[in-house]
Amino acid sequence: MPPERLLGLVARGDEGAFEQIYDRLAGAAYGLIRRVVRDPAQAEEVTQEVMLEVWRTASRFDPDRGSAATWVLTIAHRRAIDRVRSTTASVAREQRVVEVEVPADYVADVVEANLERERVRRCLDGLTPLQRESITLAYYGGYSYPQVAGLLGVALGTIKTRIRDGLIRLRDCLGVTA
Amino acid sequence: MRLLRENQQGLTGVYAVGAMTSEAEREKFERHLRRCASCASEVRGLRDTATMLALAAAEQPPPELRVRTLAQVRRTRQLPPQVEPRRGSGAKRWAPRLRLAVPVTVAAASLLAILVLAVAQVRVQRSLHQAQAQNAAIAAVLATPGARIVTGPTSAGGTTTAVVAVARHEVVVTTTGLPGLPAGRVYEMWLIGRTGARPIGLARPMPSGHTVPILAAGLARGDRLGITVEPAGGTRHPTTTPIVVLPLT
Ligand SMILES: [Zn+2]
Repeated sequence: MPPERLLGLVARGDEGAFEQIYDRLAGAAYGLIRRVVRDPAQAEEVTQEVMLEVWRTASRFDPDRGSAATWVLTIAHRRAIDRVRSTTASVAREQRVVEVEVPADYVADVVEANLERERVRRCLDGLTPLQRESITLAYYGGYSYPQVAGLLGVALGTIKTRIRDGLIRLRDCLGVTA
Repeated sequence: MRLLRENQQGLTGVYAVGAMTSEAEREKFERHLRRCASCASEVRGLRDTATMLALAAAEQPPPELRVRTLAQVRRTRQLPPQVEPRRGSGAKRWAPRLRLAVPVTVAAASLLAILVLAVAQVRVQRSLHQAQAQNAAIAAVLATPGARIVTGPTSAGGTTTAVVAVARHEVVVTTTGLPGLPAGRVYEMWLIGRTGARPIGLARPMPSGHTVPILAAGLARGDRLGITVEPAGGTRHPTTTPIVVLPLT
């Protein structure tokens, strides 16, 4: 059954359908969240919050606005960012130092012996270095675009454009249909 | 207007990878999406592309997470369809029995999850009645209007979270991800004020990786929370450098 239909069942309180959604998407949610928040214990907490939010708010899922996977993973990404931004704020308050760790090699990190991953990696390799770094810092790193601009020492407008045209190239390479 | 439209057009990618600076900026762009078919269609494809990036990063989550999540789902009421307009996630309904005053709802939700685990744990050690009384006291702190969540990393790793109810002069403290200690050593928590440090309890680990929440009364303005490593049983005064000092008020 496609995940979009499963979410419809979840909205009506079907716990079995929720288990299937969990089994299909919790791994991606957890992997994404762990990349953004880094700490595995916190990543677990956030993943649990996200999956619970999926259960609670399944009735708000609108298939006309995107796929079920996109809906779930958007929640995951937002909650992960909420978590790092609140932690960063308190570090700043406490120590007046914000440590921005520049991830050395996200892209290589993504790779595993999995065809889908291979395909994504190949397509990422096809981007210009600036496109690739902007996208991975923003998405896997959880940085806002002004932060990405700061990290890469590039103008704001350039970052917006590189993220957009990099994603468009990635979309075409992956054969995503809108 | 044309300039504005171009500005917004440039944001499709940033929006798709979740890199907007604020919720306000995101909502503004979502208003544009409702009016602009070309941006909306582009955003759809770009968000699905970002989803591919997430799927490529998938990792096996710990199996206990599945057990915990499914157990929690069974206890959690769902939102009915379209009760309120789209704004807000309705996170305040997260726990039907407990109305939260704490503004940081995500952190509050995870804190609640910790508390739920804490009860199960505490029940083993004390009578049910005592556990319930302790929990009611913690719930009262969480439900205090104006209660705030303060969180910060410790130098040893892990995170400290405190719910501060200034009006009640109370604070609830828990931690997650503190590294294990050698035998004979414990983490001790302190309220540090003008008159020095006052012990408020030992951080007792739970299987979840959190520590049992500690409720401390007598919170004064300017108090800070400290955690030190001490000999088993704790001490009356800190003997080591705190691994975290968190301003609470
Ligand atoms: Zn537009």
